[in-house]
Amino acid sequence: MIAHVTRPVDAGSAAPDLPVIEMVHALPGFPQARQFALVELDDAGLLSALQSVDHPDLRFLVVPPHTFFPDYAPVVDDEVVAELGVTSAEEVQLLVILTAGESLAATTANLLAPVLINTSNRRALQVILDDNAFSVSTPLVA
Amino acid sequence: MLVLSRRVGESIVIGDEVTVTVLEVRGDVVRIGIDAPRSVSVNRAELLAALESSNQAAASPSDDAVSSLAKALRGSGPSST
Repeated sequence: MIAHVTRPVDAGSAAPDLPVIEMVHALPGFPQARQFALVELDDAGLLSALQSVDHPDLRFLVVPPHTFFPDYAPVVDDEVVAELGVTSAEEVQLLVILTAGESLAATTANLLAPVLINTSNRRALQVILDDNAFSVSTPLVA
Repeated sequence: MLVLSRRVGESIVIGDEVTVTVLEVRGDVVRIGIDAPRSVSVNRAELLAALESSNQAAASPSDDAVSSLAKALRGSGPSST
């Protein structure tokens, strides 16, 4: 009903290769796109793209947040855990969507609604956190 | 829009699986409890609207924006692990 028991999400785990990721619920604003591939865009494995499988023109830039926001530790409720079929924190990959600006300084990250991927079954979800400390447009670098 | 009056503790049933209950009314704040199956997503309207806008702004950056961002990130050299 209201928020139940919560558990932290491991922000540090690296992910194995992820071929096709299925969004359990479509990303808000993009109801038609359910399947994505996670494509690395740099050698450091920092910047990746969530590339729509069905709509080749659609992609989102994503980064693992811990590099930029070391204290970022979103908490999700049990229903999210159940929807993703998560059985251990190690199998969860946490990403945040970037809005690319004119420069790095103008680029923002959506910390209010991170993307969680269950690396075991490749189910993913953009989770809206129930915490008004987070914003959809937090500067990526201070 | 269907408009119903409810007292604290009273509910509204939507379809077979969704129940909305008025839990508390204090001033201009109403606390509402929602029982719904997992397949039904429940969100605050303004949050969902903000997220839709944010996702639309984030979607499909130009190749130029992506390559300059990748370059800037490489230059900034993330140090923390």
